[in-house]
Amino acid sequence: MSQRPFSRRVSSCLLAFLLQCGSVSPTVAAELKLEAKLIWATNEEKSPDPSHKPVDPATAEKLRKIFKWKSYFVVNRLVKVVPSRGSNRFELSKQCTVEIRELEGPRVEVKLIGDGKEVHKTTKSLSRGEWFTYAGDDKNESAWFVIITELDEK
Amino acid sequence: MKAEQQLKLQAWVDGELPEGEARQVAELVRVDKEAQAIVGELRLARSILAGNEPEAKLPESPQFYWNKIQREIERLGKPEVASRPASWIFSWRRLLVPLSGVALIAFLSVLSMNLFHYTAVDEGLKHLVEVENLSEHVGSISYKSQSENMFVVYLYNKEQEAEKDPELEPMDDTLVQ
Repeated sequence: MSQRPFSRRVSSCLLAFLLQCGSVSPTVAAELKLEAKLIWATNEEKSPDPSHKPVDPATAEKLRKIFKWKSYFVVNRLVKVVPSRGSNRFELSKQCTVEIRELEGPRVEVKLIGDGKEVHKTTKSLSRGEWFTYAGDDKNESAWFVIITELDEK
Repeated sequence: MKAEQQLKLQAWVDGELPEGEARQVAELVRVDKEAQAIVGELRLARSILAGNEPEAKLPESPQFYWNKIQREIERLGKPEVASRPASWIFSWRRLLVPLSGVALIAFLSVLSMNLFHYTAVDEGLKHLVEVENLSEHVGSISYKSQSENMFVVYLYNKEQEAEKDPELEPMDDTLVQ
């Protein structure tokens, strides 16, 4: 067994500890794979826009439990990665964009941009399985939704 | 007298000088009283030392004595393990220091993760939501549905709401194309 001085052993342990700390921190500040969906809601059975597709039954059921509308249609769906401590833009329509920034915590800052103008900003933690939803009334008793969820797969 | 000359005197007394130099020093001693005094002291010290130097005698023959020393050196130079009885305790002791180090690092890592990434402040931030209206025309209502695990921020047009309360009116610019 090597007879190294005690101070050298302590130094080695301290160095290893610092390296360990350094290696742990970046794994916590991980990138996020997010899905953003623009959904249009109405009480009509069908959407006047043929490109709109009905949401899956589970999503429709979940939305019906909270909101009053009967039918929900997917206008656009985007999946993007938000880098750690960085941001990404989800252009869901010509008028609607959301910009999402990953923050320390981990938290996310979600900025809603309508027609190029910043409309609203929300900062909160986003846990797996949670839906973050922006919503608003639309013409003719309809409504729009922007639903942001974190995807499991990387 | 210079130190160099004193050294020469000492060498002369010890008979270590070459013939030419020895003659010069002898001449110096003959004429210089200080040199004579130094030489006298040196000769006196030499005679005292020569007469009283202890004589070490080996208890056995020199050959046997030095062989004994060599054997002892060889014996001490052999690996310590060979002289010890093999035991699992020594094996464990060998691993004890690295294992302790690894355990300490693991402990400190867990501790640091808790300190840096899971503090009470973080726990509080988990439930903290900041909402900010960036347009003066738009108001918002936010709520959380625990049963559906959904956080909703509902936006409405402030101006139209003021005109036709309590119904919330659609925003001027629809966000759905």
